Amino acid sequence: MTSFLANEQALEDWLRRQAERHEVYWPQRMGKASYAFQRLRRRSPLRLDRLDDAPASKPFRASACVVPPGRLLAPMQELLYRFEPDDDGGYRFIPCLDPTERLIAGIRPCDLKAIHLMDAVNAEGVPDAHYLTRRAHTTLIASNCLQPCDAHCFCEAAGSLDWREGADVFLTPQADGQQLVECLTPRGEALCADAGFSPCDAPEERRQSAEAHRPQPFGRQFDAPLVKVMAAVDETWDSPVWDKHVERCFSCGTCNLVCPTCYCFDMRDDLDIEHPGCGSRSRCADGCMLPEFAEVAGGHNFRATPAARQRHRVKRKLAYLPTQFADGSFCVGCGRCGHQCTVDIDIFDIANDLAAASEAPHAADD
Amino acid sequence: MQPMTEFDPAPLIPRNARILDSRRVTAKERHFRLALEAPLGHRPGQFVMLSLPGVGEAPISISCGPGDEREVELVIRACGSLTHALHQRQAGDVVGLRGPFGNGFDLQDFEQRDTVIVAGGLGLAPLRSLIEPLAARPRRYGHVTLISGCRTPADELYRDKLRAWAQLPHVDVIRLVNDTAHQPWDGEVGLVTAPIPRLDLEIPNTLAVLCGPPVMYKFVIMALAARGMQNEQIYVDLERRMRCGIGKCGHCQINQVYCCRSGPVFRFDEVATLPEALT
Repeated sequence: MTSFLANEQALEDWLRRQAERHEVYWPQRMGKASYAFQRLRRRSPLRLDRLDDAPASKPFRASACVVPPGRLLAPMQELLYRFEPDDDGGYRFIPCLDPTERLIAGIRPCDLKAIHLMDAVNAEGVPDAHYLTRRAHTTLIASNCLQPCDAHCFCEAAGSLDWREGADVFLTPQADGQQLVECLTPRGEALCADAGFSPCDAPEERRQSAEAHRPQPFGRQFDAPLVKVMAAVDETWDSPVWDKHVERCFSCGTCNLVCPTCYCFDMRDDLDIEHPGCGSRSRCADGCMLPEFAEVAGGHNFRATPAARQRHRVKRKLAYLPTQFADGSFCVGCGRCGHQCTVDIDIFDIANDLAAASEAPHAADD
Repeated sequence: MQPMTEFDPAPLIPRNARILDSRRVTAKERHFRLALEAPLGHRPGQFVMLSLPGVGEAPISISCGPGDEREVELVIRACGSLTHALHQRQAGDVVGLRGPFGNGFDLQDFEQRDTVIVAGGLGLAPLRSLIEPLAARPRRYGHVTLISGCRTPADELYRDKLRAWAQLPHVDVIRLVNDTAHQPWDGEVGLVTAPIPRLDLEIPNTLAVLCGPPVMYKFVIMALAARGMQNEQIYVDLERRMRCGIGKCGHCQINQVYCCRSGPVFRFDEVATLPEALT
């Protein structure tokens, strides 16, 4: 696969040219310290903003993106179909698939792994046509991380720091301020073919020498190896750790909303007030931390307490889904849930405490 | 027109189903017969996603036995906005239907076996889809003992069917209420667990099938275990509120298991170790 070197100006010009043909998204500053993956429009000023502590070599700073880029593939609310009356007293159901060509740039390895996991989830069993259609028409440009995004980051501990699979183009900042541009797929090759970047050799060495400057350790580290942490989460059912970490929980579901591997949804119908009998069904993001998530008709709730819901969320990330899909932890260590939680509940602390409790000579769980 | 893509959205898109008749069976439940564009081809114990466009969608158990008719029967309790709206619909009205979903029962498992079926309340609705084929082929499926319980006589579903099944030589029917509530009643009074100790069963050749309110399962399983039944001989039909039916939305998850795909029918040994299965 071909590799190039490009300076930041050339990258900017290139992305701006892409925006003439596709919808291009990348992290843009929202207010003072928050970033979001926003559409780059033809006339919108291109702002490669950086947080104050970010090195100049990071053109796409994604740390404060509250909502992960995967939500461009699985929107918080997504139209599934429209309906209208047919001539026979019934309905015509018109599926809404979105084959818009999109390009998402500035994706961090943790979010890239999350997208890879969501690809697997949506392709497995009954394939999800809505997701897979968007995904098939989306190009991913990822950016290597040479320093942790913020104090909540634990991507190395979660095993996603060096994730590259799924990216069409992978960028790594070089010491001289240039970017190493690695094309990882035919789609990435085609995208870079007319970019005017300078061809380069030995991309592997260039990437590794850049990565050699990463701080050690990189972000927060679990007190035990990831496999042991995951085993502890898997094996723990009754434990005071679950209760300890939900004492302050409001069951607000923020952790679900910002998680790049949360994909549960609810359905909602909307009626078109101007056209009687017409309307649409959408799915909207839902969260297993919300109290009514596992409620059934008649009011019985299979996860009635915050502790039961927290346990479900953590086990889904570190035990249930990793067992079903063979790509390791579904928690990618982005740190969003802990960062955005109003009361500082952090999956990192929960997992770490569970591992410590299972190591203790008189583990409290059974 | 939608541009064509290579992926099929059909599993999430309903089809039209016309109400052939809707009749009240209890104060809260109505029985619906729907005409379909094509036969469902369902197995006993499967469910459909039923919708009223503009109102919502819910999983509803299929209540009729498998067949190749372009019809399906459902019993629907009015308990939320969708089901209340459905109760207002009449013959000739059209609803949306997806499915069938779930694994359902494999009728081969019941060949040459006796079966004890324990239904609590609305649990009789899905179990009728199993009782019908078992009762229709006595030489293939063996003896059926049906224990059907509900709160009061006025809550009993399928009374005519229960009486008709009781007339069959290879079917025993035990009907119970928790409380007669001063209404006429020709069955027994008590919980569905009560008759289990006295049943005349050839345990090694018997299967048990359960469906009812969440509180019921544990006690019925204890009563069956006391008779010497193993977990592998017990099938449970579990209730969860699915939103998609295809193992994505997350609402029906029982620990790591998606009830809509791996269930809603489970052999009990498959879920006995899942703490969230029964409560």
